[in-house]
Amino acid sequence: MIEAPDAALLRDPLHQVSPRAVTYWRVSALIGAVVEWAITIAVYAFALPAIFDGERPRWALPVLVFLLVAPLAHVLFMPQLRFRIHRWEVTPTAIHTRAGWLNINSRVAPLSRVQTVDSTQGALMRLFRLSSLTVTTASAAGPLTIDCLDRDDARQLVAELTEITSASEGDAT
Amino acid sequence: MSAAETPWLRLSPRNLLIDPVKVLGQFAFPAVVTLVGISQGDGGMPWWALPFVVAGAVVVGVLPWLTTFYRTTDTQFQIRTGLLNKKMKTAPLDRVRSVDLEASLLQRLVGLSKVQIGTGVDDDRITLNSVSRADADSLRAFLLARRAAAVAASATPATSGMEMRPPPVGEPAVGQAADRTVEAPRVLAQIDWSWLRFAPFSLARLVVLAAAVGALSQFGDELPVADVAESAWSWVRQFALAVVIAGLIIGGLTSWVMIAVSGYVVQWWDMRLTREAGSLHLTAGLFTTRSISVEEQRVRGVEMKEPVLLRLVGGAELSTLATGVGSGGVTAVLPPCPQAVARSVGADVLGSSTAMSLQLTRHGPAARRRSWTKNLLSTGIVLAGTLLLMIWVDLPWWMPALVAVLGFCLSAVVAEVSYRHLGHGTTDEHLVMGSGEVARVRTVLEHDGIIGWVLHQSWFQRRLQLATLVATTAAGAERVVARDIPLSAAIRLADRCTPGVLSHWLA
Repeated sequence: MIEAPDAALLRDPLHQVSPRAVTYWRVSALIGAVVEWAITIAVYAFALPAIFDGERPRWALPVLVFLLVAPLAHVLFMPQLRFRIHRWEVTPTAIHTRAGWLNINSRVAPLSRVQTVDSTQGALMRLFRLSSLTVTTASAAGPLTIDCLDRDDARQLVAELTEITSASEGDAT
Repeated sequence: MSAAETPWLRLSPRNLLIDPVKVLGQFAFPAVVTLVGISQGDGGMPWWALPFVVAGAVVVGVLPWLTTFYRTTDTQFQIRTGLLNKKMKTAPLDRVRSVDLEASLLQRLVGLSKVQIGTGVDDDRITLNSVSRADADSLRAFLLARRAAAVAASATPATSGMEMRPPPVGEPAVGQAADRTVEAPRVLAQIDWSWLRFAPFSLARLVVLAAAVGALSQFGDELPVADVAESAWSWVRQFALAVVIAGLIIGGLTSWVMIAVSGYVVQWWDMRLTREAGSLHLTAGLFTTRSISVEEQRVRGVEMKEPVLLRLVGGAELSTLATGVGSGGVTAVLPPCPQAVARSVGADVLGSSTAMSLQLTRHGPAARRRSWTKNLLSTGIVLAGTLLLMIWVDLPWWMPALVAVLGFCLSAVVAEVSYRHLGHGTTDEHLVMGSGEVARVRTVLEHDGIIGWVLHQSWFQRRLQLATLVATTAAGAERVVARDIPLSAAIRLADRCTPGVLSHWLA
């Protein structure tokens, strides 16, 4: 830290989330994309001619192409990027999570300040045997979430965290 | 003294004087309307109904006094309310974090005061409507002293025995706690009427003026003088437009100064900020007096804000950031006052002067570049839109040009100023962050009040090796933000503020 003032960097947290998360993210992105495609095509095919008296303005086609391609790029590239970024690690004293894909969000909290440990599972997540874990502190600005852990890992981690946090005293504010 | 033996206390009987009046006040308007209705036509309420209205108001007004009881036991403060649906609220004495007194004009006339007890559960405070002034003061002193004693007792279990139970009333409290309770209140700040000069430069009350103007303009349309005004207007336009405009400006400024000054006087009359028994007390108010007490342990930091107008005349505002006091946890403890006063009172509250005067480290050229790009780009987009509109409505060419030049000059100033407001630093006990676009804000937070870190990097920030560092906390707005701080500076700052938390991941 002292040797070179600009060298301070955070090491990556140790663990990645479950590899099945990639498929899960891809499927949920695809569902979103299909909905968006449907709306776009419907607007292009029916709404635009109705508004502009049977003709489509010149800018309509480029916009259509963009609105069709952008979700495709999201479906193709987002899951891998996200899998590379999402990481987590718990030490006996602190928890560190990293999330995001274009914007990156790193969060660190000492376990002595943790208030609740929750795990949630959406319907689609259940299909992939995944589970998300949220650790909250007394600050509304600071919940730490680990998305898409393997279900069994998540269960074990919850047990571990509750044990560590219940041992600490004070009201954690 | 067991809980069962402690007698229940009622609110002050003087309540009976004002509560019916208050209820009558709420009834008055509809009552008058119906009574007037009778005299004009035959519907509505007959005259003999008047005594019933008054009697009803009296009964409704008396109910709270009849049905509210409170008491303090060894360990709890309890309040019982309700006639049919009985409700009992309790607050453990060692959880009491703030005791606020407030007295409206009506209550002050008969010497009553409202007591609000905060227990750290946000927004859920126990309210005792109107007990006598003396009772309120002694209740507050008792609750806060009790709290201090409980804290001292749990901090030094060897001297106070096995339990964390606070010592009962009457008996001398143990060592440190006793010292603290008898310690004389120390005045940290008191209103100085020369500060009144800052009142017109604080825009908080501008809303009031705007509302008044809005209300007046609504009437304006319906006034019969409109036609007269119109012919007068054409006369005025011929002769004295400049005079009228000058008159309007002077009139507006005068009324603004009057509103600002009177608002300042009403809100901050007899302001005193004192430290007593481990708590900060703030009392102020001309008509409604407020008295706010926050346990000092709960005060995690302060925020000094210099809005742009106030800063031009060297003024500042000071707030404390506290946990468990409800309403956002940010309490203004000083009126707009000289910056030096805000600084020294802030240092007094924090118990260290370095944090308030610390020279902050700037965020560097990349942050400056980002501030400029962001401001110029957003101004550019907005300007392009307005310019297109202006050209479309066929204005002379120099108008859009003038707007563009002014717009870019303004955004350049804002870009540079908002960069200069950015800064970070740390002392042995406090984290200090500078922020604000046009207002300069200095936020000071105890290291111990930091309960986590968020390091956010947008895609643009990543390319510039910048980050937004957020210290999360339970106090105040629950977050203290350093925007566009160089990544490695952010990590070193976080590591210095909370030693050990990040060390596992430091490369």
